Amino acid sequence: MDVAQALVMGMQTWGIIGAIVALIFLTIGIDRIDEDARGAYVFRPLLIPAVLLIWPIVLWRWWQIETERAAWAARYRPVRAYYGAAVCLMSLGIVVIVFSGLSIRQTWPGDVAPVQLSEGVTQ
Amino acid sequence: MSEKPFFVGYLPAPGPLRVFLLAACMLVIAGLGTAGYLMGAAQDDPGPGAFRFDYGRQTVTGVVEMTPYPVIHVTEGNDRIKPGDSFMMTAGGKSGVDSRAMPLNGQLAQVSGIVLERGDLYMMQLRGGRNGLRAAEGDAPAIPIEPQGRWQLTGEICDGKCLAGAMRPGRGLAHKACANLCLLGDVPPIFVSSQPVLGSEFLLVTGPDGTRLPRDAYDYVAQFITAEGEITKRGDLLVWEIDVDTIEVTE
Repeated sequence: MDVAQALVMGMQTWGIIGAIVALIFLTIGIDRIDEDARGAYVFRPLLIPAVLLIWPIVLWRWWQIETERAAWAARYRPVRAYYGAAVCLMSLGIVVIVFSGLSIRQTWPGDVAPVQLSEGVTQ
Repeated sequence: MSEKPFFVGYLPAPGPLRVFLLAACMLVIAGLGTAGYLMGAAQDDPGPGAFRFDYGRQTVTGVVEMTPYPVIHVTEGNDRIKPGDSFMMTAGGKSGVDSRAMPLNGQLAQVSGIVLERGDLYMMQLRGGRNGLRAAEGDAPAIPIEPQGRWQLTGEICDGKCLAGAMRPGRGLAHKACANLCLLGDVPPIFVSSQPVLGSEFLLVTGPDGTRLPRDAYDYVAQFITAEGEITKRGDLLVWEIDVDTIEVTE
């Protein structure tokens, strides 16, 4: 398996898990943790794309709220506390990716001359 | 009541925040401008390739040859394209003209279209249907085929259309996905040699024994590679039959 295949397989796996999470959360979970959502169904398909992408956070929040591990407002603080660090890391990541890409890219082999290994039959 | 200044979008900005907003705006604009300049300056020169609409529509007659990619060896040229020239042909978008050229293989045909030109490489994007490629009256002369031996070349596999000027850049990693789509659409592949070989920097690249470029080679498109293969001069065009097993990515 090469890098491209691994990337595609990783994305497919992430998406499949996200689809399963979306199916369960939007049919069962959302009714259990959000009383305002009970009886409301039309908006739920709109949430599917986001759940496909951020299903770990959906699961984590579902678990936080379902188990009542913290007071209502405090349930969201741990995520918010990491926002600043996440923004800094993502910004730094962009810079690192750009400079890594520029530093590891190939240089044009302009100094390598063609080599004739054998002559043509009719030469 | 707190004395801390508070920004409201539809009200004038409080005094202390004006300095901050002005500084933030200038920093963002200057930062984005600087980043854009640095990223642009780090890019390679896309080269001189371009569609030559300024030449107008070109119409010439020649012998069609499937190499297996469609090539025409000109027998009756015009002011710009001379008899004896050989060039590759493509259709609009990311597609080749194989289906139109195959029935005319080895026959005399008239081609009409727009030239793409990059240095001594040029290609023609044919008009649609029979307006672009049709059989012509007359006997097709034999095309000289001259084996040039086995060569080890260093350079890059590109799709001929984008390289010749349909895209800027038409080569390099940034263009890899586009190049592979073009090759899948039967656009002829071109090898750009690190140095001229037999007087030409550009060679039509195929698989061994007149086959199409093997799919295994697509993984190496847009990377700088070294490989071996037989070169044959067909008319005015060099054709390199690449041996995929010998491909190595350069440092």
